[in-house]
Amino acid sequence: MSILKKIAAAALSAVVSLTALSAVASADEPYTGYNYDWWGDPIPSQNGFVVDRVVNGSDMGLDLYDYSDRSKSMQTQLKDLAEPSDIFIDQKFGVFYVVDSKNNRLIITNEDFSPDATSVIEELHYGSEYPEEKSPIKKTTFKNPQGVYVRTDNDGNTLIFVADYDNNRVVMFTPDKEIKMEYVRPSKDVFDEDKTFNPKKVIVDSAFNVYVIVPSVTQGAVQFSEDGRCNGFYGANRVEATAEVIAQSFWKLIYSREQIIAMRRSVAISIANLDIDDEGFIYTVTENKTSDTDVLKKLNPAGTNIFINLGYSDYTYGDYATRYYKGVNYASAITDVDVDSEGNIYLLDFATGRVFQYTDECDLLFIFGTKGFKNSQGTQKGTFRSVSAVETYKGKVYVVDNIKNSITVFRQTEFGAIVQKAIKLFNEGLYDEAKAPWEEVLRRDANYWLAYIGLGNAYLNQNDYGTAMNYFYRTSRAGYNRAFKSFRIEFIRANFTWMLIIVLVIIVGLIVLSYVRKTLSKKKAAKKGGTE
Amino acid sequence: MRFDLDLPAWKWPFYVMRHPFEGYDDLRWKKGYNMKVAWVIVIAFFIVSVASAQLTGFLFNKTYVKVFNVIPYFSSSVILFLTWVVGNWSLCTLFDGEGTMKNIFCVSAYALLPYLFSQVIVIIASNFLLRTESGFISFFQYLGMVWSIVLMISAMKTVHQYSIPKTLAAMFFTIVAMAIILFLAVLLLTLFQQVFVFGYSVYTELMYRFSI
Repeated sequence: MSILKKIAAAALSAVVSLTALSAVASADEPYTGYNYDWWGDPIPSQNGFVVDRVVNGSDMGLDLYDYSDRSKSMQTQLKDLAEPSDIFIDQKFGVFYVVDSKNNRLIITNEDFSPDATSVIEELHYGSEYPEEKSPIKKTTFKNPQGVYVRTDNDGNTLIFVADYDNNRVVMFTPDKEIKMEYVRPSKDVFDEDKTFNPKKVIVDSAFNVYVIVPSVTQGAVQFSEDGRCNGFYGANRVEATAEVIAQSFWKLIYSREQIIAMRRSVAISIANLDIDDEGFIYTVTENKTSDTDVLKKLNPAGTNIFINLGYSDYTYGDYATRYYKGVNYASAITDVDVDSEGNIYLLDFATGRVFQYTDECDLLFIFGTKGFKNSQGTQKGTFRSVSAVETYKGKVYVVDNIKNSITVFRQTEFGAIVQKAIKLFNEGLYDEAKAPWEEVLRRDANYWLAYIGLGNAYLNQNDYGTAMNYFYRTSRAGYNRAFKSFRIEFIRANFTWMLIIVLVIIVGLIVLSYVRKTLSKKKAAKKGGTE
Repeated sequence: MRFDLDLPAWKWPFYVMRHPFEGYDDLRWKKGYNMKVAWVIVIAFFIVSVASAQLTGFLFNKTYVKVFNVIPYFSSSVILFLTWVVGNWSLCTLFDGEGTMKNIFCVSAYALLPYLFSQVIVIIASNFLLRTESGFISFFQYLGMVWSIVLMISAMKTVHQYSIPKTLAAMFFTIVAMAIILFLAVLLLTLFQQVFVFGYSVYTELMYRFSI
């Protein structure tokens, strides 16, 4: 009896511990990882990124009010984050810059967001090279800053660029708060007088050209040279070929000049955000629910999009299908882009609160994050209310929410790390070494189609064309084509004698058959002639 | 016209295929119409359209094979063909066409043969060709289609004893008639469905009333 009891107790404890384990495993993210298959249907997948922590102002020591010190009023105390709209991470020094738009300030912190490392820039002063009216004493503040970019100049000094939205300028200053340069509204022969000049985002390339996104401009980003002169525009979007545009181009053939001027003008959608990678390529995104033209572009220095998919068709970014559910239209509106040191591209979807991770060749890797439901209002970790910016640092992804006033940190899962490792080997051309991680990926998620392509390439590299074809089947037409080409040549080489013999037999058979038929019909005719 | 032709019924489709211009005259003269042969071709048309979706090589196959439903293939082959026959007959009887329904059915079915052959060649070849060699595939596809259209014009011309312009006009308006027929069929189906729903709700209402 006691043995039975022991067994029962052991079994029970096993069950309990198992359920406890599974409870740990299931206490995970508020979103389900998914991916898109060969047909563009969403299929569940494992999460590549999970929430590490959520940082808000108090974590950074920003909203502490010292009640003992009555001499300071509430206003002079540091306030909590209010509508943070952008984040920039200096990859070399690990310094984080957060734009706190509503408080008109820039927050500088580090990877841990610790209060000791956090400092605030609210006031700037003009450098000594500025003339009298902007004397060194004269201070200036931000007014609704929206974007930040940081880089070092040739002497190794850090320079901070802030898109100062309501002050109509982009300001470049040192960490000592000394203004080095202001990029202001260009002269009217370059920039239309009727248009507002409200810089929203800013980046700087290696040649110190400053690219500024102004929402009112549809010709692309406004490009300034280092000395503050406007060089023109860069990277305009195309006009989407809607039915209206096509009809208009037809009517333009017929209409008079006055009628054409009176027509509604179709202009491209302005760029929403941009980023620059280590090689100097500039990535732009367009935030628009209804159009899928030029959602993501990778621009070369000439301003040409090199993500054109060999001219076959455009890539699809964000969620594939537009869905209408309970009065709300769900379609992706990509609001920010980030490129990490591995070349992975992260797109931030404002509409759904999701981050889409792509490889440098636009293959979808992972989708994570979500928008909070109406009742929970994004209070849960990993849900958002209104995302505004995404950045990556050391494999972690930082997403800023400007209503939750927080920064959510995502870390890579084990599964994500395996995929990343496989892709890294794959991109280095080490197909055989990438085989083991890809097989591990398939063991964990048999629907992960990029793994099939990776394994197909591995087998193709080993000249095992048949297996490669099996892996490429319904995962990659280009890969299948390559494998099949070699497979066909090999097949013909191996079986050439047999095929030749078969063809010869058929030809000889046909000749014999026709001869037999001829003689038969002759005999028939002779018979007929004989009877008549 | 050859008056010495004496072909078995199953050879007629192949004969008209090889003689697009005078073949139908011979067919009409010899009364080579055979419904069984015509039905076989129509069924083959259906089978080939299914095979084209299922057996075309991966590199050229654009079908969504995750969920396979045979009904669309049936309606886009057999139903479409029957609509063509009915539409053509109802139009051409009003405009001095000499063909009966049976004649139209047979000659139209016979005209499909080159298309079927080209489709079979395409299905087989698509399993051996690369993407760069897709020119062969489209060549055979267009060849079969054009050949079938030429045959169909010839068939319509002969079976109704029309001139060429009148044949072309009749074929165009047959397509219009097909659209009208399909529209009316869909309308009828929806209306009958609503009638059925109405009747069923009356029935359930009555059952509730009397069950107490």
